[in-house]
Amino acid sequence: MNTEPKTSTWLSEPRLRARLFDGRSARAQAVWAWLDQTQLHILACDTEGEPLSTQTRMQRQHALREVVWPERLRHGERQALLPDGAVLCEDLTPGARQQWDAWAQASGLHDSLTVRFMRSWRLVALSVHLSAGLLGVAWHWGIPWTAERGAALIPAAAEQQIAEQALDYMDRQWLKPSTLSAARQEEITRRLAAAVRRDEILRAGLEPQAAPLPAYRLHFRAGPKALGPNAFALPGGDIVLTDALVELAEGEPDIITGVLTHELGHVRHRHGMRLALQASMVAGLSGLLIGDFSALLAGLPAWLAQADYSREFEREADLHARQMLQAAGISPRVMVRFFERLEAHQKRQGQDKSPLPMAFASHPAHAERIAFFNAAP
Amino acid sequence: MHELPDAGCYAAPARTQQTLAIRFTGSGSEYFRIWIVNLLLTLLTLSLYLPFAKVRRLRYFYANTRIGDQALCFHGRPWPMFRGYLLLLTLAGAYGLAGHFSPLAGLIAYLLLCAIWPALWRAGMQFRMGNTRWRGLRLRFDGDLIGAYQAVAPIYLPGILVMVGAFISGPDHASEDLGVGGTVLFAGMGLMVLLAPYFMASIKRYQHGGYGYADQRATLDVGVGRFYMLVLKGLLVSLLPMVVAGALAAGVVALVQPSKQLMPVAIGFGVLLGYLLYFMMIGPYFAARLQNLVWNGTRSERLQFTSQLKFRSLLILTVCNWLLTALTLSLYRPFAAIKTARLRLEAINLVVGGDVETWQAQLSAEANDASGDAAGDFFGLDMGL
Repeated sequence: MNTEPKTSTWLSEPRLRARLFDGRSARAQAVWAWLDQTQLHILACDTEGEPLSTQTRMQRQHALREVVWPERLRHGERQALLPDGAVLCEDLTPGARQQWDAWAQASGLHDSLTVRFMRSWRLVALSVHLSAGLLGVAWHWGIPWTAERGAALIPAAAEQQIAEQALDYMDRQWLKPSTLSAARQEEITRRLAAAVRRDEILRAGLEPQAAPLPAYRLHFRAGPKALGPNAFALPGGDIVLTDALVELAEGEPDIITGVLTHELGHVRHRHGMRLALQASMVAGLSGLLIGDFSALLAGLPAWLAQADYSREFEREADLHARQMLQAAGISPRVMVRFFERLEAHQKRQGQDKSPLPMAFASHPAHAERIAFFNAAP
Repeated sequence: MHELPDAGCYAAPARTQQTLAIRFTGSGSEYFRIWIVNLLLTLLTLSLYLPFAKVRRLRYFYANTRIGDQALCFHGRPWPMFRGYLLLLTLAGAYGLAGHFSPLAGLIAYLLLCAIWPALWRAGMQFRMGNTRWRGLRLRFDGDLIGAYQAVAPIYLPGILVMVGAFISGPDHASEDLGVGGTVLFAGMGLMVLLAPYFMASIKRYQHGGYGYADQRATLDVGVGRFYMLVLKGLLVSLLPMVVAGALAAGVVALVQPSKQLMPVAIGFGVLLGYLLYFMMIGPYFAARLQNLVWNGTRSERLQFTSQLKFRSLLILTVCNWLLTALTLSLYRPFAAIKTARLRLEAINLVVGGDVETWQAQLSAEANDASGDAAGDFFGLDMGL
């Protein structure tokens, strides 16, 4: 910088009238700017455009690769960032932006690939489609795949610790000890263990490489009325069964085994942990889309995605239940009878079908699940 | 001053006051192109492109924000911001995973995050302001590190009380009486609620009191009482949508006379409507009133701001933006961003005492510039929008 310029390079064409802020003073200096092969030259001038040639200090050069050029868009002041913190700005005259763009083109400065993309409506339309496609791929394959791999990395001990605390919390807040006799509990546990054992033997023969079923623990609890006949699996293999469900299955103990094999499906495929991981990924993705605009709006796709993933997991658990029941020599149609009894129970309680549309529901419709278990060969 | 008016203008320019309007010239359709290409590249690179996208977005918004006849200029370089992004990503990942491995690790990670958050917040503001130039002079954030911790103290101290209370009361406390832990817990929560406006005031004071330009250093001259008033009024405003939703739901019920089965549905929709209206009202209310409150109170020796953002305009714009963004599956979002920026920025005027062209950069600031603010520059920590 500040070397005595060769006369031949002074004010070579094409040149541009612009303003320079040197970073030390708030006053703009009128300048001429032009390029050669490797450098940007800037020469101070007066308001008429006459170079202030006597003051060689007002001349500066910068290597082209050190200058950050503005992107050629329709709006926005043209600003070139110089490496010492100075800024070269478009002139204040009307049409200065077009002059800058024409000068940049004529001087051989090219738009970056991204800018060329943005300037073409066709490529922008392509971007819309590609982005939508990528989001769809992420939703259907990317996120579930990543969550599956991620869940496999989390040690089972950690999962169990979380589940223990969750169960502890639920016991304090709204679960009560079961009123079932020890013999009844023992019988349910034994029936399930028998089904699992026969299923393991069959699986070992069919797919020897498959991972064994993780250890599970069965907990009997009496729930509040709102919980109703229910069973749920916590991450790590804890399964909670309510007394109301045992009542519902009165006279047909295989129903309990059927429901529990469904919950074991959740345990085997680590659905709890996967769902948590998927939820956080969807939240990140929708945050990327509109999060800085409205957190509430961003929550909506996250909710829909959560429900969608959850229904998918329920189907997988239903498949697991069907396979395990067949292996144990129990007809999968016991599940059909379970859904029938459940519906009758809900009617008795005056509960109507959920007013939420299907897209928001966490479980597939009863009719679909009944058809699935009826279709068992 | 008894000179003739026109003589006075030339003789004593330092005493004149100049009002510079802020104009925002960005266009929605153009920002849409920037946004969609940024989004595509971000998706393709599994979010690693995010800092580069952010530089492009900020340069566009800044180059379109004209104060007087001169636009702002964003100088941040993407690579330091990329390093900062990786750092934040690592922190966030470690924080997220810690909770999955064990609750204790999650708690420790949470405490660590709380402990370093004020420092990160300050580094982010230093980076953002230090990379913003107007008329070639860089803006500064001069708030010190101790100040950052003092600013968050009104929420951190009650937060510590809550945690200590939760720890004392333990997992197996008797449900009936509170005990020492429960008392401490509720005291902490109560303090948190009572101190919330004070926290807002101390955060804004630290933020706006740290802003600097040339030889000017801003202060925020707004009493804490006005923040309490703002929150109280906000609470009143937030009651309105609940009343409206309740009245609507009651009207519908009275008109249609739904069967017993449909009753929960009607109540559900009423609650949902109230909830949506609540967030639609409360967000723009606080955004508008807070902007006016803090910018009208921000001044330095020769700089002053005025902000006249109307709640009604922001509310209407926000409602339209929400609807259109939802209907277009988020494709309207860039248009919404441009419109919101225009409304909010053009409500602000800058009043400058004297001739701004004669201003010079502070010498010490340029010295810092040469050595580089080590961590802040190496990791371009840019949080916020």
